[in-house]
Amino acid sequence: MAINKKEYLQEVLETHKMSHVNSLLDKYRDKRKSIKEALEEHYTDKIYSPLNSGSYAKHTAINTKFDLDVVVPFKKKSFSTLEEMFDDVFDFLNETYGTEATVRKQKVSIGIIFYSDNDGDEISIDIVPGRELNEDQYNEDNKLNLYVHSQYGLLAGKTHLLTNIKAQIEHIKSRDNERKIIRLLKIWKSSNNEDYKSFLMELITIKAFDKDSISGDLCEMLESTMEYIRDNITKDGFTLSDPGNSGNNVADTLESWQKENLSSKMKNMLDRIEDNSDNLKIYFPINPDFKENEDTKSSEGYGVKTGASTFSIPTQNQRFG
Amino acid sequence: MDVEVQIPKGLLNKIVDAGIKMYPKEYGGFLIGFYSEDFKTLHITETILPSEYRNSKYSFERSAKGIKGELKRLYSLNPKQHYVGEWHTHPDNSTQFSITDLNAMIEIAECKTVGINNPTLMILSINKSRLNDFEFYVYNDKKLLRYE
Ligand SMILES: [Zn+2]
Repeated sequence: MAINKKEYLQEVLETHKMSHVNSLLDKYRDKRKSIKEALEEHYTDKIYSPLNSGSYAKHTAINTKFDLDVVVPFKKKSFSTLEEMFDDVFDFLNETYGTEATVRKQKVSIGIIFYSDNDGDEISIDIVPGRELNEDQYNEDNKLNLYVHSQYGLLAGKTHLLTNIKAQIEHIKSRDNERKIIRLLKIWKSSNNEDYKSFLMELITIKAFDKDSISGDLCEMLESTMEYIRDNITKDGFTLSDPGNSGNNVADTLESWQKENLSSKMKNMLDRIEDNSDNLKIYFPINPDFKENEDTKSSEGYGVKTGASTFSIPTQNQRFG
Repeated sequence: MDVEVQIPKGLLNKIVDAGIKMYPKEYGGFLIGFYSEDFKTLHITETILPSEYRNSKYSFERSAKGIKGELKRLYSLNPKQHYVGEWHTHPDNSTQFSITDLNAMIEIAECKTVGINNPTLMILSINKSRLNDFEFYVYNDKKLLRYE
């Protein structure tokens, strides 16, 4: 039986909402906070306040996999070379977390992968050290030089990468429709074990909305975006510029066979969904861990306590974090 | 829950300005407003800033001392305006609530002098000079739900 595609996709988004997995997210946040505090304590006035990047801060995260980064902006004079900075942060994190986590050098970040806890949750957080481009200008221009760890082929020969990390976060804000489509594509990606970079999916969706006039209901927008990917990703000269650095073409992170693959996956999905709308369920599954809660499911409005007849007085002292 | 929240731009700007002044420390206040007749929409109309508070980069503690008179005045307006929740900033941080925030909202909802079951929590991510993002959460049954 054919399903109502739009309503189904709305339900998919609903069951993958972040609010239903707060305990795991809280674990991430606690770890991230303690790492930030350790870095601030160790580097004191060599750094500006570390800030969160990663897809959660970009608001498009789905709850099956978190992708949290912490950017650590170093002052220009803190280290004489980017490599020194990168190695020093690695040594410090390895010393501090080496007994409870695997600490490793990655392309532009240092990965801390904590050993599974009692619940079997494995938390990994990437720390991205960057050094301000212009002395004392970071607060104004947000420009950072990142060290590129050399064992990675793609950027071989380049030892640094200029990025504007805040521009990456800003870019995706207040685009509600894009956010929903990005979340659906991420649900597809993680449910089907596709390893396309989240950042790439975000940029291509935004480009689809900018270039094609994508409209209609949730399902129509999703299908148009998939058609855009199918038709454009393999084109010569197709670029996805990194809002943090317009010189980076994020599309280049895919080999041409990977682009062909992505295009044919989109085509295949679109064809099969057209054959039978039930196939949507394969590509965009409901979150199986989502427990329907009668209270949150009900269409109740705001509640007022029975017997409350006068104005509320809030608690005397209240602490927030 | 099937609810929505509305805040006028001018009030949002006022809240943002108050938050940025305290950067890099957290800061916050009380949210005042009223519910629509069907209790589906919350209209936020005003904020009251606390007269006493303690704050740091990662925490904000406010007192409700001295606000009773103002609450009484707001309640006499038409429509009646009343306490509907709390806001605070997360300088250089995301709009995700912390465990402390959730616990605070549990205490507020369970407080005898609070007449609403679903207080609202607004979190603003700010930096030195501006708003990065903001998010509203509605409290329901020991959970904070995002409006989407
Ligand atoms: Zn908070």
